[in-house]
Amino acid sequence: MNAQNPGLDVRAAFEAHGSALLGFAVNALRDHGLAEDCVQETFLRAWRSRAHFDPSRGSLRTWLFAIERRVILDVFRARERTPRLVPQSDVAEPAGSGPDVLERLHIVEGLARLSAEHREAVVAIHLTGCSYAEYSATSGVPVATLRTRVFYALRALRTHLDEGDPTDD
Amino acid sequence: MTDQTPDRRAELIAAALAQDLTPDERAEFASLRESDPTIDDELMLLGGLPAEVRGLGSWREEQPSDALRDRIDRIADDPSPAEPGQEQDSAGQPTSRSTSIPRRSRTEHPGSVRRTDGARRRLLLTTGAAACVAVGLGLGVALAALQDAPVDGPPGTLGALETVEFVGEPSGVHIAGDVVAHTWGTETVLRADGLPTGGLFAVIVIDEEGREFSSGTLLGSDIAIDCRLNAAVLREDAVAVEIRGNDGTRIATAALAPVDA
Repeated sequence: MNAQNPGLDVRAAFEAHGSALLGFAVNALRDHGLAEDCVQETFLRAWRSRAHFDPSRGSLRTWLFAIERRVILDVFRARERTPRLVPQSDVAEPAGSGPDVLERLHIVEGLARLSAEHREAVVAIHLTGCSYAEYSATSGVPVATLRTRVFYALRALRTHLDEGDPTDD
Repeated sequence: MTDQTPDRRAELIAAALAQDLTPDERAEFASLRESDPTIDDELMLLGGLPAEVRGLGSWREEQPSDALRDRIDRIADDPSPAEPGQEQDSAGQPTSRSTSIPRRSRTEHPGSVRRTDGARRRLLLTTGAAACVAVGLGLGVALAALQDAPVDGPPGTLGALETVEFVGEPSGVHIAGDVVAHTWGTETVLRADGLPTGGLFAVIVIDEEGREFSSGTLLGSDIAIDCRLNAAVLREDAVAVEIRGNDGTRIATAALAPVDA
């Protein structure tokens, strides 16, 4: 934020975006404790660099996700640089590094940035493998509504993936 | 063109991508594609996504814990000012120094950090190491800026830089530093020169009961290292900062002044 812009309201930002940011970190790292640390680091960095946030250039949500992406990449890079400290057997689902991991990170971020109802529909249909009829029966949401949600969710995901490389730092 | 609502178009595309069209819908969709060529463009754009999503294997929906909310509240309550413009870029990426991931509070993990899960602790340690080595690569150390803290006061003053003296360094090694009291713990600001390149060094804050709180680690470099690390122990409880080698050898120690109640 600039001089004309009052400070970042950390509590309000966390209430609005904390769950989505945690979803990104949890699904990227597969470690809830480490993911919560990443969320905390994200807000710490945001707080320290709040003078730079300019809402005319992008939303607060986009800015926070950009910060968290760098925090998560720091964790990946640390794993890569000091493999002797992170034996594969000690990590629940080792993430490694390289293009595959970065592509996966980009998709995880895209899903995390969707609204909860859009993400849940995409996960149910395309990850869990439910049919629309099955998911409609369990969720109580009409099939037509679920299909429309998935369509717009996939569009949003496509837009996110086309926006750029997650390593563009 | 067949008269279809946008939502029906979206419905049929979504169903096609999931191979969920009924026989009647397949016929309807075929007719629609003939009259609306943009549907095929849409199918090409979105067609690969289901496989990419499937490739994730699973998805976890989890909510922030109360402990995380408490930690975020401490950030909101911290009086430290925003950093100067040259310190971080617009995405909050440190450019001339870095921070390690702050640890959970003692209330979340009673006792010292040493008692936490080994694998997790190692991951956190390596995170701190990466942050420090990035600084050590010479991205533009700005020591003057580090010292330019507008908050001043006696030891324990929130946000104030408190210079400490490290002693006991081996020949050729020089370590200087400050600590900063925060609501969530104690931050150590380190400048280290002469630590063997590639060597791994732990930074530990010790409280008055002798409990040890890891701040993270740093990697030795042939150029000066400048970094900041955080420990989950309040400044008023902290009595010393130690730098140790990977084998536990004490490299340097700084005694911290008592904090007046």
